[in-house]
Amino acid sequence: MEINEIMHTNNTLNTVSPEHSNVIIVTENLGKSAPTANGQLVILENINLRINAGESVAVTGESGSGKSTLISLLAGLDTLTSGVITVNGLSLTGMNEDGRAELRNRMVGFVFQSFQLMQGLTALENVMLPLELRGDNKARTTAEAFLRRVGLAERLNHTPRQLSGGEQQRVALARAFVTQPALLFADEPTGNLDGSTGAKIIDLLFELNQESKTTLILVTHDPALAQRCQRTIRLSAGKIV
Amino acid sequence: MKPMGLALRFLWRDIRAGELTLLFLALLIAVSCSTAITLFSSRLQRTVTDQAAEFMAADMVITSHATLEDDWLKQANKLNLDQSQTAEFSSVLMEHDEMLLAGVKAVSDRYPLRGYLKTTDSDYASETNAYHGPQPGQAWVEKRILSALKLKLGDTVTVGEKALIINKIITYEPDKQGDLYSLSPRVMIHQDDLPQTGIIQPGSHVHYFYQFRGEQGQLSAFKPWIKPKLNPTQRIMDIHEDRPEVGSALNRAERYLGLSSIVVIIISGVAIAMAARRYAERHLDATAIMRCLGSKQNDVLALFFSQFLILGLITSLIGCGVGWLVQALLFDLLRNLLPQTIANPGWLAIVFGLLTGMTVLIGFALPPLLQLKRVSPARVLRRDLTPMPASAWLVYGLAISIVAGLIWRYTQDLKMTLTIFGGGFVLLIILDLLVYGLLKLAQRALHLMSINWRFGLQGLIRNKRATISQILAFTITLVAMTLSFTVHHDLIDNWQRQLPENAPNHFALNIFPDQIEAIKADFTANNINGSLFFPIIRGRLTEINGQAVQKIVSKKSQGESATHRELSLTYTENLPEDNLIADGVWWTDNKPGLVSVEQKLTESLKIKLGDRLQFVIGGQPLTATVSSIRFLRWETMKPNFYMIFSPGTLEAFPGTYLTSFYLPENNKLYLNQLIKKYPAMTILEVDLILKQFKTIVAQLTEAINYLLYFALLAGFTVLFAAIHATLDNRIYESALLRTFGANRSLLHLTHVIEFFTLGLVSGLLAVIFAEALLFVLHVKVLGMDYQLTTYLWFTLPVIAACAVGLAGCWGVNRVINTPPLRVLRES
Repeated sequence: MEINEIMHTNNTLNTVSPEHSNVIIVTENLGKSAPTANGQLVILENINLRINAGESVAVTGESGSGKSTLISLLAGLDTLTSGVITVNGLSLTGMNEDGRAELRNRMVGFVFQSFQLMQGLTALENVMLPLELRGDNKARTTAEAFLRRVGLAERLNHTPRQLSGGEQQRVALARAFVTQPALLFADEPTGNLDGSTGAKIIDLLFELNQESKTTLILVTHDPALAQRCQRTIRLSAGKIV
Repeated sequence: MKPMGLALRFLWRDIRAGELTLLFLALLIAVSCSTAITLFSSRLQRTVTDQAAEFMAADMVITSHATLEDDWLKQANKLNLDQSQTAEFSSVLMEHDEMLLAGVKAVSDRYPLRGYLKTTDSDYASETNAYHGPQPGQAWVEKRILSALKLKLGDTVTVGEKALIINKIITYEPDKQGDLYSLSPRVMIHQDDLPQTGIIQPGSHVHYFYQFRGEQGQLSAFKPWIKPKLNPTQRIMDIHEDRPEVGSALNRAERYLGLSSIVVIIISGVAIAMAARRYAERHLDATAIMRCLGSKQNDVLALFFSQFLILGLITSLIGCGVGWLVQALLFDLLRNLLPQTIANPGWLAIVFGLLTGMTVLIGFALPPLLQLKRVSPARVLRRDLTPMPASAWLVYGLAISIVAGLIWRYTQDLKMTLTIFGGGFVLLIILDLLVYGLLKLAQRALHLMSINWRFGLQGLIRNKRATISQILAFTITLVAMTLSFTVHHDLIDNWQRQLPENAPNHFALNIFPDQIEAIKADFTANNINGSLFFPIIRGRLTEINGQAVQKIVSKKSQGESATHRELSLTYTENLPEDNLIADGVWWTDNKPGLVSVEQKLTESLKIKLGDRLQFVIGGQPLTATVSSIRFLRWETMKPNFYMIFSPGTLEAFPGTYLTSFYLPENNKLYLNQLIKKYPAMTILEVDLILKQFKTIVAQLTEAINYLLYFALLAGFTVLFAAIHATLDNRIYESALLRTFGANRSLLHLTHVIEFFTLGLVSGLLAVIFAEALLFVLHVKVLGMDYQLTTYLWFTLPVIAACAVGLAGCWGVNRVINTPPLRVLRES
């Protein structure tokens, strides 16, 4: 996989040109700041990235370096203060919240450190959710297949409280991949798990990623895990170093 | 996305997860209570109105001095109204050399349309109810006729030229008219015998009563049709206009029942708002996940809104069912007090219950739902991204508008609606600021307190916003309950005052001046508690300031009725008991030529102080100047007069006297002695009317008591629910404290301090605001004096502290008995 990092470029890339047709994410001079009592707090500054389709990228850095903010911007969860983000040829900059929601539903999958499963729903219902949101009539069958794939065939009707941490993260993986997303964002996916369970989850994550040829952007503190990705972006104080 | 299908699935999941239990309960209580109260009060009103209609023996009566046009009766037939007719006139009966002026009443077959006559065969022996009058050839008479004319059952009595056989003694007649002073003992005959009596000739003074019975809709169609056709001597009577003592009791009861509903709705609304807020808070994460997975803002809102709508509909339907059962149970509990036949429940009440449920749900639950729309998808990564709560204006504005709408619906009284609406709004703002100030004050004093107090109060101070809304909720609930309780007391006291024990229950009329002393002595000898003797001079009001009174008066008014008949005029030196001077002054120097007029009549006839009124008494004119205007309560059943003259004005005219006295039921035979001794005297047995009125008041009082218990029960249930809705944070914080080593007694004490303070502050604020509102209600709306309800100042804060304290401690008790790790994990 080709890794492209464009630092301090002057090119404006609002859409992907034919020669860059395999590029899925491009950012230019991306910045994010937030008002505080002591003035503007800069969280991210001049982030320029180019990530190709199918690539796996680790985002590392210390706590507070802006990793989570970066993926929330790239996934269209939050709005940027300056610069440009283009996902699959579509500029997020001019997109309203509903447009970004549509994009997330069609293209993006998520795995979180705290699993983020809906507590009132069973494992099956949690996996069905993104399919139901897009009006998929075969939500149940597809979700069941993915839960079997992650080894939870016997746990379909268990609620998150009845599942262990590792099992919950498997449900989260099934939910993330069930829509066959072009992009998968994983935020510290093993942060809440013990070493051996974490390793199994990562294996499963990379297997599924391989099978579905998804672009993986993974936030982690773990250098070993970062090494399993094709490329690592290191953030420090809101900047790529 | 298929919103409805998904909403149903989500709804089922939320129900299964117990997320909607509180909301469901709060809404169920609101709908059940409002449906039960609406159904109960509408059935009770209809039953009581039906029963009250018995006073007129019909739902509607047209009085006339001549027979009505055939067309009018045909129109009533066309509307399927049941009809009966009576004709009343005076006639002298002569038997066994005795003469007596009797009130003859000729009745048709179907009389009475409402209620029944009571008859007996011998002296006050077992009474039987009769649902028809005498047959042709028969006469039913009052007992006094028999004693005065030396007759007995089975004898014949000749009315005019027709001889009739007396076969029953009438002891009760439902529609005996309220013109107390012109009553003569009754002889009731059949209408078919009327022509043969030969009494009715052209120009005879006969009162015809045309009675109608039917559904409200039929009557509403008939009344406006016939009204414009009536001539000035004809009049429509209905229960509210023509039996003021019953009408005012009913009106007050209707109002109170309506306000009780509002109290329950407000209390439940507060709980719905709290439950919805808890629901929204517990769904922030889930919403963020859905947003993250691609749900649009409006999709999220539509999803939750549809869930609430479905929940609202289902709950309202169940609530209507429960409400129906509750009102059936209430009627069952009251079955000994109520008449045999209860009016059927109206379907409109069910529709209203459904509408109330949906309105209250939307009004109180929408603002928290709107908060969900604004959840940022980035919350999945940063839990601190909590959307701003809905604007306070929206939250309070919507809720107050809904409540104002309901108040308007129940009271139909703009003044009262605006008072409550404006008062409520100002109250909310003041309360908000007050609680905020109190919390700030407590914050400053924290460092002076022991650890228990510090921990307890910190629970309240840490999240000021939540504490303020909880205190507001409890205060509003307590104010609503206090108002309900106090108004309930005032209402019943008021009724009780109207009907004191041993109040005069008989009127003696046609007493000649030379008999007064003898009668007084007679009363004393027989331990009878008599009242003053009022002179009665019959006269007609003809002119006001030289202008004919008929030209001034508006049709169908009280004044119109007063100008068509002779009034009972009296004179007295002292202002009668229960009369109040509304304007002008009562005479002190006994100057003749002055008259004091009843307030409502002055309004109807546009009479002012200083006006000169001309009367015709026995063909002689008399002029008097209006020196005062009196307020009096007609419903007191005491001798009341439109016109009272100053001493020296009427003495020259011949007149008789009237007095009233109390006679216990077991001493009825004394009446016979009286009549024998004073044959010209007419006795009016008001106790029969009073008995019926007392029964109605007793029924209303009982019903209202049950409703109050119902409202109180609902209030407490909701109070518990509302506290439960705020426990999440407290349980979490307590679990944290336990992990740091806080022992159970510290936690217990902390919770006791926290919840009892919450209740105490709410109780104190509630008592202040309840007193303020009661003051406004009494002085501005009811026009009564108001005194502070001292006991409330002690009882309410204590009750509130205990209720909120116990409910709160019970709620968080779980945390003390559950391993803290489990609580923290579940959070």
